[in-house]
Amino acid sequence: MTSTPVILARGVAKRFGTFDALTSLDLEVHSGQCVGLLGPNGAGKSTFIGCLYGVVLRTGGTLNIFGLDPAKNAREIKGRIGVVPQENALDEGLTVLENMRIYARFGGIPKARADARIDRLLDHMSLEAKRDATIKTLSGGMKRRLTFVRALLADPELLILDEPTTGLDPSVRHLLWEKVTELRNEGKTILVTTHYMHEAEVLCDRIFILDQGRVVGVGAPRELIEREAPGFVGIFPRDSEALLQPHLQPTWELFHQAHQCCIRAPRFDDLLDLQRLSGLTALQLRPTNLEDVYLKLTGSELKDHE
Amino acid sequence: MNDKLQTFRLAWHVVVRNWLVYRKDFLANISPTLADPALIMLSLGLGLSPFIGEIDGLSYAEFLAPGMIATTALFTAFFESSYGFFVRMTFESVFKAMLTTPIGVREVLLGEFMWVFVRTALMAFGVSLVLLALGLMPNPWAILICPIIGGFLSLPCSAIGLLAASWVRNINQFQTVYSFLIAPIYYLSGVFFPLPEKSVLSVIIQFSPFYHGVRLIQFTVWGKSTIAEILWHATALAGFTLILGFLAFHRMGRKLTT
Repeated sequence: MTSTPVILARGVAKRFGTFDALTSLDLEVHSGQCVGLLGPNGAGKSTFIGCLYGVVLRTGGTLNIFGLDPAKNAREIKGRIGVVPQENALDEGLTVLENMRIYARFGGIPKARADARIDRLLDHMSLEAKRDATIKTLSGGMKRRLTFVRALLADPELLILDEPTTGLDPSVRHLLWEKVTELRNEGKTILVTTHYMHEAEVLCDRIFILDQGRVVGVGAPRELIEREAPGFVGIFPRDSEALLQPHLQPTWELFHQAHQCCIRAPRFDDLLDLQRLSGLTALQLRPTNLEDVYLKLTGSELKDHE
Repeated sequence: MNDKLQTFRLAWHVVVRNWLVYRKDFLANISPTLADPALIMLSLGLGLSPFIGEIDGLSYAEFLAPGMIATTALFTAFFESSYGFFVRMTFESVFKAMLTTPIGVREVLLGEFMWVFVRTALMAFGVSLVLLALGLMPNPWAILICPIIGGFLSLPCSAIGLLAASWVRNINQFQTVYSFLIAPIYYLSGVFFPLPEKSVLSVIIQFSPFYHGVRLIQFTVWGKSTIAEILWHATALAGFTLILGFLAFHRMGRKLTT
């Protein structure tokens, strides 16, 4: 891609007192991409999101959104983005329509056009029946969908989703994934932070894994898996380590997850052989996934890697 | 569009948002603002008046009346910008969502001051009507002028509220601010009794923006003052507004961005 990236971050740093929330973050998001930001709590995801629209002032590096610096041109940037923040922050006492009208006004959308757009988006998110309902009466999933409507009111070029499906039931989560995929197909650029590996795998063209304020892994989901943790994983009971040990190849990996003994090997047959040789039956045999990459790169759970 | 004009437009949207939320609980919201001064006028004003002699040719009820308008400004502004703002900032996360739109911290705070001004002016107008009904507004023009002074008086009071909101770690700590700052200002700024001349209190109280607002409203309602007095109190009120407003913008601005 040769065009100017929608988001371009080079060495972005943020220091709170003596704590470095972001040490040196490099990242770019190109037009039409859906990019995922993964990382444990405290990795700096939300700090970085805040830097993008000027509520967090970075202490180092360069950052451009649409070629503009959020430290100087926050208002212009914010006129072209839509954000689904971690908290919905809807006005509970007001109706759906009233809430959306307020935000349409904030976005500078003329009233007549705003109402038409609100109706269309409510319809799109299957909330049209709730137009005049008070926010208090909506379920958690409905509120989240409404927050998506709010973010889309000004027809933003860039959509920022900060943990969009945290705490939602699977049906709502799948509905939101569908909507995000539709938006991506419409050509919107999307940046999404999440804890759910599966979500990142489903939605994102490209993933940045963050740990302790820096990027520790970049790539398309498949690419990351192939590069960082290729192969298959066999999960065995915790007490089986001694029985497995003699049959492990040097290139294989042994690690523990949730009190279980995990073996990563390059081929599926390797794990079948291991079962036969050790006389053990694995609890689960599966291809590696993004979660394995994530745990490997962010160090969690891999501390007892031998 | 011109940058400053745009700032005002956006700040005005914040005012509209606050009004829409406020309107939902209108009766609950205006009850204390109107009931408190009415009760004070009934109990202290009309109840005590017969037992108290005249103060500068005024009955006690007449003396007390203008202070009720000023008091409305103090309480409306302080509570809206302390408790009210704190709740919007923390429990409701209103600004977290608002700040993702073209609205910035500057517009949020400017909007807060504008909202408090409008709301206080309306409340002061309401109280003025109550006083008129009680026959305590000899000059009908005062009904229009007092709300405007009330609006300006609300600005430094709102700044104090915002400063408190930037300081407290939890909502209960506002009680301390009320007890040690707002209540003394309220009781000692010449609303309930004329300040003794050349007293220590009359010197200290010059540092209370509320006192200057009280005096300006008293002048307006009683219709007696000198140009020099008006200028002094108006200047002092403007000075406090600028200083406290600047501090509030600075402190709260740093709280809303990190």
